[in-house]
Formats: sequence, C-alpha cells, structure tokens
Amino acid sequence: METQLVLEKWPGIISTVTIGAKKEEGGTRADIAKIGGQNTLPLLFKEGSIPNKPVIALEMWDVFPSDWPEELSNAYGKVLNDPFAWADKCVNEYKAQTLCLRMQGTHPDSGDKGALEAARFVSTLLKKVKVPLVIMGSGDDAKDNLILPACSEAAKGERCLIGCAVQDNYKTLVASVLADGHSIIAESPIDINIAKQLNILISDMGLNLERIVINPTIGALGYGLEYAYSIMERARLAALSGDKTLASPFICFAGQEAWRAKEAKATPEQGIIWEIITATSLIQSGADLLVMRHPAAAEKTAKYIGTLFTNR
Amino acid sequence: MDKFKVTFYPDNKTVRVEKDRTILSAAISAGVYINSSCGGDGVCGRCKVVVRKGQVESQATGAVTLEEKKKNIHLACSTIIHSDLEVEIPESSRLNFDKLTPEELEERLSGLYSKAEDIQPVKTKLEAGVFKHSPFATKLYLELPKPTLNDSVSDLERLYRALRQLQEFPVVQTGLFNIRQLGELLRDSEWSVTLTLGKRNDTVEIVLVEPGDTTHNNFGLAFDIGTTTISGQLVDLNSKKILGTKAAYNQQAAFGSDVITRIVYAGNSDGLEKLHNAVCDTMNQIIRELISEHHIDLNDLNCIVCSGNTTMIHLLLSVDPAHIRKEPYVPTANFLPVVRAAEAGININPRGLLYCVPGVSSYVGGDTTSGILSSGIYQKEQPCILIDIGTNGEIVLGNKDFLVACAASAGPAFEGSGVTSGMRASSGAIQKVSINKKDFGVTYSTIQDKKPRGICGSGYIDLLSSMLEAGIIDKGGKINAEGSRIRSTDTGKEFVVCFKDETDIGADIVINEADIENLKRSKGALYSATAILARHLDIELSHIYKIFIAGGFGTYLDIEKAIKIGLLPDLERSKFMFIGNSALAGARQILLSNQAMAMADKLASTITYFELSVDPKYMDEYSQALFFPHTDLIRFPTVRF
Repeated sequence: METQLVLEKWPGIISTVTIGAKKEEGGTRADIAKIGGQNTLPLLFKEGSIPNKPVIALEMWDVFPSDWPEELSNAYGKVLNDPFAWADKCVNEYKAQTLCLRMQGTHPDSGDKGALEAARFVSTLLKKVKVPLVIMGSGDDAKDNLILPACSEAAKGERCLIGCAVQDNYKTLVASVLADGHSIIAESPIDINIAKQLNILISDMGLNLERIVINPTIGALGYGLEYAYSIMERARLAALSGDKTLASPFICFAGQEAWRAKEAKATPEQGIIWEIITATSLIQSGADLLVMRHPAAAEKTAKYIGTLFTNR
Repeated sequence: MDKFKVTFYPDNKTVRVEKDRTILSAAISAGVYINSSCGGDGVCGRCKVVVRKGQVESQATGAVTLEEKKKNIHLACSTIIHSDLEVEIPESSRLNFDKLTPEELEERLSGLYSKAEDIQPVKTKLEAGVFKHSPFATKLYLELPKPTLNDSVSDLERLYRALRQLQEFPVVQTGLFNIRQLGELLRDSEWSVTLTLGKRNDTVEIVLVEPGDTTHNNFGLAFDIGTTTISGQLVDLNSKKILGTKAAYNQQAAFGSDVITRIVYAGNSDGLEKLHNAVCDTMNQIIRELISEHHIDLNDLNCIVCSGNTTMIHLLLSVDPAHIRKEPYVPTANFLPVVRAAEAGININPRGLLYCVPGVSSYVGGDTTSGILSSGIYQKEQPCILIDIGTNGEIVLGNKDFLVACAASAGPAFEGSGVTSGMRASSGAIQKVSINKKDFGVTYSTIQDKKPRGICGSGYIDLLSSMLEAGIIDKGGKINAEGSRIRSTDTGKEFVVCFKDETDIGADIVINEADIENLKRSKGALYSATAILARHLDIELSHIYKIFIAGGFGTYLDIEKAIKIGLLPDLERSKFMFIGNSALAGARQILLSNQAMAMADKLASTITYFELSVDPKYMDEYSQALFFPHTDLIRFPTVRF
C-alpha cells in the first residue's frame, strides 16, 4: 500500500519581487528576475506552489576588491581592475543572470567617490550590461545616504534592488527607492523581530511590502550558518502562517560570508566548496536571491538548483 | 598617610581624602552628588567630570572620547586622585532630576538634593470600609483607682487590670523603659494616664505611658519606599483622615539607579551603612516636613508602616541584601517582625513601632503585597491583573483562589528619572499633552496649572502617543520629521515640548531619542512581563476581568494612550482601572487596621512567585515589545496611527 503524505496548507504567501524592467516596462533590461511568490516551505513542491527558482547574482565592485583573498580574485584575473570588463566577464563568460554591484569605492576609506561619480558609474554600467541589477552601498551610513539616492536616480525606471536599509538608517533610501521605482533590501542583524519592525517602518513610509527583500544577515558554514538558518525558518513559518509583515523574499550574501572563513582560504578548491555549501544550505532554509563571489561556486550552485527544480 | 584636598565646583565644597581614592568616592564624602547609574563600574559614562587642576590617573574607558580627553574630562568613578584637585561637575553629570530653582540649590547645599514635594493622591473607588478600624497604634485614656492598703497590687498590675477591664487582650507586655518611669508618672499624673498600645507580632505592647489624656493626638505614617521615589503619608489614626502626602526621590540614587547596583554597592566597605543612611535621610526629611506643616509633635507619631521592594526593606533595616542578587536569589527575610522605628533610624516617637509589609520573594516585595491588598484582587471571582508601574515593575495575576506575581525591571523612566526633562508627578509637571498634526504645536496641562517644570510619567505616555500620531516619531521611536521644534544635537534629535520662555526653569523642556529609547524599554518590559505571565498561566488576556494600574502617576493616566504606545494590552477600555500608588494605599490600610495587617501576612505567604528569566521566550517577547505599539501588530487591533 502506498503511504499517504500528510500535506500542509498555509494561509500566507511570500510576495513576488521583480528585479529589472524590460523596454515595455520603461527600462532597458534584456531580461528580468523574479523571486518569491511561494506559498510553502522551501522545496516542498507537493504542498504548494513555488513559481520561482532561487536566483544567483554574481557580486562585482566598482573598484578593485583589495580585501578579496587570492584564491578568489585569481578566478577573475586582470578584469578586477576594470569594473566594466569585470561585469562583462560575469555576464558573457559566466552567464550571470543578475549582477550585484557593491559601490565600495564610495567608502571614505577606499576611494571616497562622490555621488555624481557614483551615479555616472551606474549609468554607464546599465548601458554596458543588460541583466537586472542589485545595487549596494559601501555600508557607511552617512556616505550611503549621499550616494545611493544618486545611484537610484541614475537607474530610474530600471527596477533595481537597492540596499541596505537598516533600522537606524532607512528613511533616505526608502524615499529614493519610492521615487525612482526600485525595490529595497531591508537588513536586520539575525533578528526576526527587527526584520519585522524594519518592514513595518518601511511600509509605513508608503513603500509597498511587495517591494521589500529581507537581508536576514547570515553566517557562513561553521560561522553561525545554523543560527541564520533557524531565524530564516522562523520568519518563513510566520509569513506562511499569515504574517504579511514578514512575507518578503530573502537575499543572502553567501559569497561575502563564505570567503571570510579562514578555512575558505586554505586551498583554492576549499573556498569554492565552502561557498557552495553555504549557498546550498541557505536554499534549504528559504533563500530566494543568493549573492555569490566565485564563478565556479555560482556555477555549481546553479546546477544544483536546476537539479532540484527539474525533479520536482 | 598622604591626604589630598579635593574641591568640587560649582558647589565649592572641599574634602580631604586619602590616597588611592576615586573622584566619585571623594564626591560622596563631600556630599556632592554625581550621577552614577552603574554604581561606579565605569560603564555607564554618566559621571563625567572636568579636572581643572591636579594630577589624576584614569583607567582606560570607551565612555570618554578623545575629544573629551583633551578637555580633561574623566569618569569620576574610575579616576584615582594623585594630588590636590579642583574638579568641575558639569550639569549633565549632576544628580539632579529637576533643573534647580534657587530654593532647591539651597536645599542641595545643605546636603539634600531633592526636596520632598506634595503629591495629590488619586481618588479611587477602592478600599471603602473593607477592614475594621483598629489602628496599628491605639491610645487609651485610663483613670486608675489609687492604691490602698486593701488594694495593693503593683503599679504595673494595676495598669494591666484596668486595661483588661476595658478589653480582653491575649498577652500584654511592656518594656523596662516604661516600667522604670511608671511609679513616678502615675503619681505625678494623679493616676490618669494615656496608654499607647501597639500590636507587636502576636502580642499587645504598652508602647508608651503618658500623663493625662492625649488620646486625640495619635498619628501614624504610611510609606512606600520605591527604588526611585519614596512617598510618605501622614494619617490621623483616630479619624482615619489623610493629613498630607509627600514624595521625594530616594537619595540612594547616588549609589546606582537600580536595585542590583545598589546591592553591589552595599557590598563595599561602609556601603550598606551609606545606603541605609540615604533611605533614612529621605524618609526623615519627608516626616519632618509633614509634621511641621501640620503642627504635629514628633512624639505623637506612634507608628509607621512601610511598603517596599525586598531590597529597599533590607536596606532600610540595614540587613545585608547580598544574596538577593545571587542565584538562587534568596533574601534574608520576607517577613520581618515589628521593631522600634528608632532601631531602623526613623525619627518618630522613640518608642514608636515600625512594620514592614511582608514580601514574597527577592524580586516581589511588600509593595506588591500592599498593592494586592489595596486593589482587592484577592477577593475577585474572575482573574484580574495588577500592573504596578515603577522602577521595579510588578505584575500580579489572580483572583480569590490564586495569585501569581512576577517582577519586571522597567527602569525609572515613568517615574521621571533618567530622562532629560523628567520629573515626579508634582506641581508644574506636564501630565497631559496633545500635538497639532499640521504645525506640531503642543498643547499641555500641568499639575496644579503651574508653569511647566518638566514632564512626569503620565505626561510621557501622552507625549509619546501624540508624537506617534502626529508622525514626529516612527514606530521604532526615531524622530522622523522636520520642524521648528525638532533639533539635531550631538546625541541625536530632540523635540522641544516647551520653549524656555514658557517654562518655570529657564530652559527648554525636551524629549530626545535616548529618552524615547528609555521609555520604550520600560513599556516593553512591563508589557512583555504581563503577556508572559498570562501565557504561562494559560489565560488569554482577553479573558481578564479587570486590570488595575498602579504607579506614582499623580492624578491622571490616559488608558487609551497607554494602550497606543503598547504599555498596556489592547483590551476593552472599561476593564482598566487606574488606582495610583497602590503600595502606599495598602500601607495605609495596614496602618489603620489590624485585620489588614493580618491579611497582608496571609497574602504574602500565599502568593506564588514566577521568575520571568527562566521563561525561554522572555527575550523574544521583550524584543517584540520594543516597538510602538508592538512588533506583532495583531495584538493591538484598535491601534492605528
């Protein structure tokens, strides 16, 4: 006799966030990326609908990534000195569907580029590559408040995903994103309550909950991965139970965290494996958008996602 | 041994101290009060002083910036004196809760930093005639038959005999002090005397024998000894009338703002003694003012009943509170015998009695027992909640069949302490606020309609709720708007409630983001404790019959607004009843009735203590409550901004 599976139905649904706008939507992207939209827990295809696969965005910087370990930067070689060539390589050689641009060169300690220069950079990049774009500040609150509005304006109509808004600094970014038609990344320090509070604060300013992506902050394998995992799982359970204020897709910076682990730098292969394990584990806990660094790790993870979703 | 001369400005007080002492300890010796929330651990950064002249050695600390170091700013608690010094205490480090008026400055120079102020108690419908009138101390006028050869019982037996003819007492005792004077006194007064009888544990004691009839002069005191505020009430024990109520900040605040830092401080050499003296000084000051205003002789104050949390009672009686802080959190005593007030250092009639309302545990004290007594929740059929909003907030859930209490460390913000423009609910305190949504214009009313001097707890509740409604702050408590009343300062943004020219203190009355954070933590601690207690007992908050709100809020508390900020649960408004200082009301009931005293003893032994910190969900509940009104908006269905 065949075993009957007990299926669970959830009242909630994760909102669908679209990154990128094609010509008919007022943008210039050749393709768009959709994340979220599921009404069940990760990979439980029988229990509900999971319309969108997790998306991988390759991370690139507007300056040379001086703190990347050799094991990682060797994979890209000389293009790291030329951001546009770097972007080109990601899209054309590594077939990245989405790019995540980090404006590290605007940080006061690493270039201190101004708003105008940053905006110009974003404009040029949007002309050179046609994939959807995630735009990140440098993490310096005061500086991000200057450059991100300029980048947002330069990318107006392109429906980018811009971040990160944090609890103590979200207003400026929300206002820009709202005006220029983008979506926002809301970052919380591995804390479900702050994630929820920040989503409420952002939506109170008039930005639809459907335009928010949660960055739950994660740790790499061996560095708190399981802690992030359980926070994501809890948030997802709450969202599927009907809590709209937590029903946003997750963005996870798997590459950034994995390459901070000292084990990742032991041999070139180990770093790739470290990033893959971190990324694939996060998929199990509900990651919708993975920002990755090593092209080989991204390729393997994409293949893994493909396998999971063909056997559904 | 080397001694250094340290002079503090602007007080211009000088003290000679031994080598290796800190500036803070020198200040305490000099009677100069400096903020020291962490009790001298060098972590709170509130005791910054400027060393104008002299050599010091400071421990490294993150609390002083490089900029400040250049200006010779040091933390008083972690700076050792190496030579004669001149030290300037900036306004921000002074332990003052109100900006000083000239009279208050004078008061401070005489060693007191905060004058006792009149408090208008809340009028509630509670407690009318629940207990039979039988005060803690009663007076009886007796005319004894003179001894003759046929009736030659001793003087003392004669007194007892006359007493027993009036009333049957189980055991009567009297002290040697009275017996020594008795022979002379009876003869001088021609055998007409007034006895003061006190209930002392299970016996009746002749506390005092006075010549003539003094029965009309029988007064007692009820006290609520809070961590931050001490309130005292003068009661005519014959007529049950309240003659006056006063409150003052607990002078122990100089040694730390919460019970834990005070317990730690009590462990220092002389620490216990200093804390004991501080509470006695505050109480004696209140007593002095009460009796001089009402023209009452100190000797006619025959008894005193004190409600207080367990630590406060230990310190009042000079009992070492050390074990309250350490696992498994055991106090030296919850039930304390009736003692002579003089033994505890309280100045009333030297023979007068002191009763401390019994506590339940280390963190649920006699103030809670008093609150349960005065709110009457122990008689209700349906489950009720008592929320006592204080530095050590207590929540009690129960009815006539059971009572469970927990403690929530809420901090002193709602008592007007630790917040920039905070003050007690006394004359000139802003207690009602509304804000115009268009231009952020502020309308307010103050206690006794005086020019504003600061903001009290109920004012802060109104203010937060109005700021949320007007969109001045977001739900996280950050100031979120622009306008003429909103300013940026070094420490963040602030909102001006009253400009300098409207106030009585010559300075703006403001609320800043740090104040809002403090208030948010306080309300979060109280709400989450209530929610956890109800969940622990598996009782839905919506099934609670009545919620009694207690606290030193003066005469006014807007329930609607307290719900809006998430301090109180979102339930039918008719379920809430504001009862004011319930600990003080309970102490007064006990003062006036032996029945109430017996009930307090019974209650304290039946209340179950629930330790919040062992609940695995506590931190989660607490952080959810750190939002206006709450992270889980579903729990506040009627709140909309």
